[in-house]
Amino acid sequence: MLAYLIRRLVLTVPTFVLVAIAVFTLVRLIPGDPVQVMLGDAVDPSLAELYRTQLGLDQSVPVQFFYWLSHVAEGDFGHSISNGVAVLPLILQRFTVSASIVLVAVILATMIAVPAGLTAAWKQNRSLDTGIVSMATILLSIPSFWLGLLLLIVFGLNLGWLPVVGYISMRENLGQALLYMILPVLTLTLTESGILTRMMRASSIEVLRLEYVTHARAKGLAESKVLMRHVLPNAFAPTWTMIGLIMGHLLGGIAVIETVFTIPGLGRLLVDSIYARDYPVVQGCLLFTAAIYMVINLIVDFCYPLFDPRVLAE
Amino acid sequence: MKLQSCAQSFLVALSLLFSIEGGAAAHAETMLKARINSDILSTDPGTKRDENTDGVVLHMVEGLVAFREDTSVGPLLAKSIVVSDDGLTYTFTLRDGVHFHNGALLTSKEVLWSLNRYLDPETHWRCLPEFDGNGVAKILSVTAPDAMTVRIKLDTPSPLFLTTLARQDCGGTGIMHPDSVKPDGSWDKPIGTGPFKFGIWKTGDYIELDAFNDYASRDEPMDGNTGGKKAEVDKVRFLVIPDSSAARAALLSGAIDVLNGVTPSELAAFKGRDDVTLDKHALMDIYAILLQTKDPLLQDVRIRQALALSIDRAALADAVSMGIAAANTSAVPVSSPFYGPVEKSVAPADIAAARKLLKEAGYKGEPIKLIANKRYPQMFDAAILVQAMAQQAGIKIDLEVLDWATELDRYSDGSYQAMSFSYSARLDPSLSFGAFMGDKALQPRKVWDDPEALELLRQSMTTQDKAERQALFDALHAKMLQQVPLIVLYNPAHVIATRNNVEGFRGWPTVQQRFWNVKIR
Repeated sequence: MLAYLIRRLVLTVPTFVLVAIAVFTLVRLIPGDPVQVMLGDAVDPSLAELYRTQLGLDQSVPVQFFYWLSHVAEGDFGHSISNGVAVLPLILQRFTVSASIVLVAVILATMIAVPAGLTAAWKQNRSLDTGIVSMATILLSIPSFWLGLLLLIVFGLNLGWLPVVGYISMRENLGQALLYMILPVLTLTLTESGILTRMMRASSIEVLRLEYVTHARAKGLAESKVLMRHVLPNAFAPTWTMIGLIMGHLLGGIAVIETVFTIPGLGRLLVDSIYARDYPVVQGCLLFTAAIYMVINLIVDFCYPLFDPRVLAE
Repeated sequence: MKLQSCAQSFLVALSLLFSIEGGAAAHAETMLKARINSDILSTDPGTKRDENTDGVVLHMVEGLVAFREDTSVGPLLAKSIVVSDDGLTYTFTLRDGVHFHNGALLTSKEVLWSLNRYLDPETHWRCLPEFDGNGVAKILSVTAPDAMTVRIKLDTPSPLFLTTLARQDCGGTGIMHPDSVKPDGSWDKPIGTGPFKFGIWKTGDYIELDAFNDYASRDEPMDGNTGGKKAEVDKVRFLVIPDSSAARAALLSGAIDVLNGVTPSELAAFKGRDDVTLDKHALMDIYAILLQTKDPLLQDVRIRQALALSIDRAALADAVSMGIAAANTSAVPVSSPFYGPVEKSVAPADIAAARKLLKEAGYKGEPIKLIANKRYPQMFDAAILVQAMAQQAGIKIDLEVLDWATELDRYSDGSYQAMSFSYSARLDPSLSFGAFMGDKALQPRKVWDDPEALELLRQSMTTQDKAERQALFDALHAKMLQQVPLIVLYNPAHVIATRNNVEGFRGWPTVQQRFWNVKIR
């Protein structure tokens, strides 16, 4: 087990370096100049030159890269070109906002999807299965921004039950924070539960066909015990991988949801900084997102043997 | 219905349970909430800035002078301004009894400190190039003969000197207390003299300003950024709401009180609402099609003239703005006092004349690439309509849609044939013309470098007499229509939606919101 963990950990180092190179290069390949975006239509050549020198943009790209990477290695992600704020604290602050929504939404989506997928598989080709699959497909197909706007108009505007814009942190006011979180969490929960339900159903159907399930039933084991003891643990592994991927994807940015509900999260920060060609923030966000993916994948990999001990044997 | 009221009661109870403390505080004070579509970039006037930043900062800091609503310049912190006969020396006498937000009294010492800080290249003041010998006039010295007098000497007389000091993008050259910077010289927060003082800035979320109760107001009525001012609410909160649909929902639900910049396509959503009032006014921004006169095809003035003749400005302005923008062929905005009879004549489209010119020029349907972007929908819509209108005259236009930063890049190095573009508001026609006039060899972003026209522009920047300046602008306008380095299309209208509990808010020819003298019922 320990060797497995160490092997997985060591593999993240070259991945991180490759990601850093890719991030830096790709950001520089986008046409556009951060100084021009900052100064707009009235860009004065001497002022622009002054800004470029101050921001280090007058250096060659390799020099900029090594300067950036060496500072990143020391935990210094630089400062935003647009507003001068330190990048890492900014990212961590925005990440906390995104994570509080994403974690709750993914947990809720899993709580809905696992029993729904298992039930659909158990009742395969019956009306309950058809109902669950249809609902999952609808949820899967609805664009999150559309669902978000719909919920916002219905619950925020027409019924007036919930606030429509803004974000309040839990430390500030727990009750208000929960109220502000309901709509974005609901939107994410609904959209993500669709794919998880489909995944859980598919893997449960596979397991239900296996001989040991037939054997358990033949022994006279109650159907609930067959499902909970034999089907669920074996069918959950692929869904667990999917949860990891979804979690990584969402933590890396739920820009659309954040824009619709006016949440100051990581996704909106990334989109805004791309528009502004704010290189340090874009690089920082992308690197941080890649790190999140790697950490989530590591956690998924570390937990995998719990669901499927064959991984260790391999 | 029962379920709805149960759910509502539950949520209200939950909200009250957790927010007793915050709720009590909220009831004790009045807060006006307004939308900004992106976060401010800093609180340091005229440095890291955009329109949202300027709008927020100008609630906290004030300059010696400021723009009035008719775009002329009037005194703000200055009681009087005396200009020497040769136009080279400006003597400002300061108003008595003006306090900074930290309680200190305004004297010439703080004015001197602020101006010297702006003139220090380390500050990165956006308007420094205007005063370092490359712009409107070089500032030779700033002195303080006594505690309430400041004297500025220039190297050349310029009618644009006060205008530039008042510019919003220059932070109104706001006068601040030296405690606005930390002991190490880095920026802390603005300690100005404005009717509101800095409160909280939660980046990406909101910036909140507190009423400054010791504000010393001018006696005359409110006029642009000057005149009488009073904070009538305890707090103003500028909420960052990038999405226009979410912003609309926020206004209609009462989450915000003022929605600045309603897009034309959203106007229909406010029709029939008796809880919302719309304020529409013409802006001084200029929407135009820039033409690269060095391009092998477009260097023929007849093709540029034909393109201009093919465009029906009135129809185009109506279509892109749902009937609220003003068609304009001139670089002098319609709300400018210099928008005279010469500028007012909007020639109708003349397809036959356009075809004749194209024939003379030997145009054989070579495509012209027109760059546009979708970040600013009106630029894209204008490009689509220009493409269609030009087609009627036989001009083939291919659209190239880029993102805004890429388009700006192409604008700056002049690498385009044609470009749908918008110049932000400049409150003096010399500055409006100056935005696109200049030596292309030195600044490729400039679109018009005709020597005679540049000489007219130079004269307009040094002549003080209004009638003479009007004649110069008229001559520039006529020359521009003849040479067609760009095709001015229209000045957009700005729409602000306010809830009916807001009293005293009004728009003016810039997008800047002003929340002094505004009450919440």
